[in-house]
Amino acid sequence: MANARALDKRRKSIRNIRKITRTMELIATARFKKAMDRASAATAYTARISQLVKDLSQSGLEVSHPLLEPHENPRHATLLVLTANRGLCGGYNGNVIRGGLSRHSELSDSMEQLTFEVSGKRGISAMKFRKLATDAEFTQFDDQPGFEEVEVLANRYLEAYAAGTLDRLDVAYTRFITSARQEAVVETLLPLGALETDEAADTDSRGESMYEFLPSAESILEEVVPSSFKVKLFKCFLDAAVSEQIARMVAMKAATENADDMIKNLSMTYNRARQSQITGEIMEIIGGVEALKN
Amino acid sequence: MASLRCIVVTPEETSLEETVDFVALPLFDGEIGISANHSPLIGRLGYGELRLRSDQGTRKFYLDGGFVQVADNVVSILTGRAVPAEDVDGAAAEEQLATARGLPSNTPELMAIRDRQVAQARAQIRLGQNA
Repeated sequence: MANARALDKRRKSIRNIRKITRTMELIATARFKKAMDRASAATAYTARISQLVKDLSQSGLEVSHPLLEPHENPRHATLLVLTANRGLCGGYNGNVIRGGLSRHSELSDSMEQLTFEVSGKRGISAMKFRKLATDAEFTQFDDQPGFEEVEVLANRYLEAYAAGTLDRLDVAYTRFITSARQEAVVETLLPLGALETDEAADTDSRGESMYEFLPSAESILEEVVPSSFKVKLFKCFLDAAVSEQIARMVAMKAATENADDMIKNLSMTYNRARQSQITGEIMEIIGGVEALKN
Repeated sequence: MASLRCIVVTPEETSLEETVDFVALPLFDGEIGISANHSPLIGRLGYGELRLRSDQGTRKFYLDGGFVQVADNVVSILTGRAVPAEDVDGAAAEEQLATARGLPSNTPELMAIRDRQVAQARAQIRLGQNA
């Protein structure tokens, strides 16, 4: 049996680790709540945009926009991977990176030119480890991404798409489904495909709209499409931020529980070791006494 | 008199929600004023100044494009950014104007991008001066 003092030392160090993981868990919980509030505040905008699209389509407008149409023979693609700046969050980063890498090899085979952009320190170092060159790296997006920062990115993509130097944009991120379920996905954001409207949008389309459109419905549509792209991209960042905090919370909770188990086991072994040491000492004394008697 | 509710929503949050007497908005092609009982309307916003007049006086914001929807005495404004006029950064706008002027404009698409940036910068500078 191991030396009792060594066991005690190990137990102490595990207690210290437990303190750290427990604190990280609490911090992640607090950050998750904040990130969650932000994400739900953002849904107001999305809801109103889709309401607007619905009203537009009710006026009998043909929904068409350059951003909705795929370019003919696509040649330039961009892949954006959203990872965290920090680790210690279980499989969060690994899953996104794996998804991103498989899309990366797919796109670099099918496209003439692939621009590879990574957000988050963990992703950047993972790409460095795999010796993959990145074209742009971002580390400014933390657990509270601001719309202004994301808008800069979105505008760059929109301008490139309009100018014809970008034919396809893919984003690898962790989608937030419920607080118990998040999954790493790769989504194609450009071309935008179709505009999302709420289900049962065309109850009585082609009918008269009660709205007056200023300057015209077409002109409004021209603006709705880029806005909904920006919001979509922003939502990717928000989802990634929320999911990161959840992943960290879960990972740290598991770590704390593991530490608890280890402390329990070690305490048991330690107590046994101490007891056997005491027994040994008593035996020695008794042996000495017996020897003196004779 | 019927009251008018004004709601300003940005992608990050609902930044303003209050009852006002009169709203002046920068539409894509000129300013529009909205009082209570205005007919339903959907409009495309340009870059410019939003004025809210109520009992407490007039408040001014910078709006960064977007849309407005008026129905049932509710004015919903969807915009990328709504900044109180005092906080508009004139120097940054001047800088943006300078870089935007240097952008290429040899195709219609590039010209549209350039025009947009110039308009955005000019609106901020104008607002910064009036504030």
